[in-house]
Amino acid sequence: MSAPSAHDVCVIGGGVTGAGIARDLSLRGLSVLLLEKGDWGAGTSGSSTWMIHGGPRYLEFDWDTTRRSCEDAGHIVTIARHMVYRVAFLVPILPHDRNNIERMETAMEVYDRFQPLKKSNPHVRLTADEARQAEPGLTPDLIGAVTLEEWGVDPHRLVYANVQDAVAHGARALNHTRVTDVLRDAGKVIGVRYRSPDGSLSEARAKVVVNAAGPWVPEISRMVGTQVQLRPAKGIHLVYPHRISNFGLSAETVDGRDVLMVSHGGFTLLGTTDDDFYGDLDAVDVHEDEVDYLLQAFERVFPSIRQYRPVRTTTGVRPTLFKWRRYEDELSRRYQVIDHSADGAEGFVTIAGGKLSMYRLMAEETSDVVCRKLGHQAPCTTATQPLPGSESELEPAADLARRYGISALAAVKVQSRHGSRSADVLDETHLGRIVCRCEPLTESELAYAARHEQVRSLADAFRRVGLAAGPCAGGACVMRAAEVIGQQLGWSASQRFDAVREFVRGAWLGRAPVLGRSGWAQEELAQGALRGLR
Amino acid sequence: MGRTDSLAKLAWAYGLHVARRRLTRPRSQLAKLVDTYERDGIRALTPEERELHPRLIGCINCGLCALAAGRLGRARLPDLASSYMRLYARLGDASSDVAGDVPDLEAASAACPVGLPLADVAAIVRRLAAG
Repeated sequence: MSAPSAHDVCVIGGGVTGAGIARDLSLRGLSVLLLEKGDWGAGTSGSSTWMIHGGPRYLEFDWDTTRRSCEDAGHIVTIARHMVYRVAFLVPILPHDRNNIERMETAMEVYDRFQPLKKSNPHVRLTADEARQAEPGLTPDLIGAVTLEEWGVDPHRLVYANVQDAVAHGARALNHTRVTDVLRDAGKVIGVRYRSPDGSLSEARAKVVVNAAGPWVPEISRMVGTQVQLRPAKGIHLVYPHRISNFGLSAETVDGRDVLMVSHGGFTLLGTTDDDFYGDLDAVDVHEDEVDYLLQAFERVFPSIRQYRPVRTTTGVRPTLFKWRRYEDELSRRYQVIDHSADGAEGFVTIAGGKLSMYRLMAEETSDVVCRKLGHQAPCTTATQPLPGSESELEPAADLARRYGISALAAVKVQSRHGSRSADVLDETHLGRIVCRCEPLTESELAYAARHEQVRSLADAFRRVGLAAGPCAGGACVMRAAEVIGQQLGWSASQRFDAVREFVRGAWLGRAPVLGRSGWAQEELAQGALRGLR
Repeated sequence: MGRTDSLAKLAWAYGLHVARRRLTRPRSQLAKLVDTYERDGIRALTPEERELHPRLIGCINCGLCALAAGRLGRARLPDLASSYMRLYARLGDASSDVAGDVPDLEAASAACPVGLPLADVAAIVRRLAAG
């Protein structure tokens, strides 16, 4: 084992909260080590609904949570402007819905008071005919609709932008690196032991260790002998590889929950479920009855939903704070920063609960606690300091496309990930050829991701640059993608082959629950093309 | 306490809302909706497009249409169906890709193993890209 590295703070967990904390502390001038056992944002953050939202649902429980959530959403929209986009929802009202249209519009009128905090537009109310002009696929049973605006974001890019900025300000960030132990000296936490991707063990000393492991918070806490109790909740989404509607839609489930169909960049997320979860956090399956539960809800408002073909599912576990005797859906999305000094674990801090939309605020409050413990006085600047790529205005996509000989759509996509730094990405290798045609993704962006963005597998590339995220789900591109990444990382021919096999197997787990007739046809095509990999 | 307070405030807001609805004459807000989101590329499909839509997005990217008919403007045909047809909100920024010559889309559709009506795909992509 090599000599331990030394840092002010070690952050465990590379989801949006951990990455946000690493960025915040680095900007305040502290030396930070950030460790993630998988890939950046591959856990709860990546399996979210991909929204920075204020949470009108919380108006029933606590207006202050709505206000704080909208305020922080406003900060995120400002600092990450190249990666956020408006999502306009139609909220259809049907006979026998839990809320009639007057109650629903009342909620939207109240929510409108908070919308300016996140730079969003107020609602409008539509008659049934008007709503069906905006979205002709809505059911004829409609009574009317109100609209609701939120922001969409790619959480994988949001997490990575935080990691990237933390590193630019001196942090060390390691993905695929699992913490195996938390080191203590006479009760005080003094660092961590971790296993690198090559299997070697290393130690890092830190004055403060932050547990930002999301649903894995209790597991890390047990390493220190402290207890943090969560009530983990599983949520799944169906992923359609195209926008079903340009508007988002909401629907009511058979048990009265609200679920969403969200139109993102070039795909649709439909979800989510919310169920207590007691299983293995590293092996969360999607069941066909969960898929049917969601489709049943949307079939009522959008009858043609079953004619559309989902390409995969996502699943994740929310790190909800523990509460006894409440339905999962009513549990608060509040968060808690815990200083474990009182538990006899000086130097150990946990952040638990919360949600993507408030990640920046959670990171700020956690960083404040860390700075107080270290006697370090530096203000938080993450509310105003732009994330990488959002420093300046974007040039027109058509101009970028002409300069680099790529399609304008490919330029749009690279800008959605890299913002004002897109030219740097395309300058890197001058490989203008498209590797993933559905996305579309250039070889130069993929090579850049392997060289500079800690992509170590095809699944990492899926998260970082959207490889294989389209309708063909990688059937046409993963072999070539392995070549491009392999060239950058020095993979042998067999390593490239193994990388493809690993990706195909992993993708299958998310695809199997939603394969319909066309899905099976596509699967046959893909498997035929990749015959010999299994 | 928080919940009671929140519900009380919502009840008050509801009373005000109902009173306002009774005292004022509602006006159509559809034009406002369209205007607000036009610049974000959030546009409605027509009823005809909606009817067709599930048939337009079945591309499995086999590439046979490219062999049969080539490109629409600068866009290869499988890309038109598998990528442009995803209806990106920023499709308008890529309108130059799909402007120009139209190939023999009937021949391309005849070659498609899932029977995609590529002429309809081209029409909807061009309309939405044009804004």
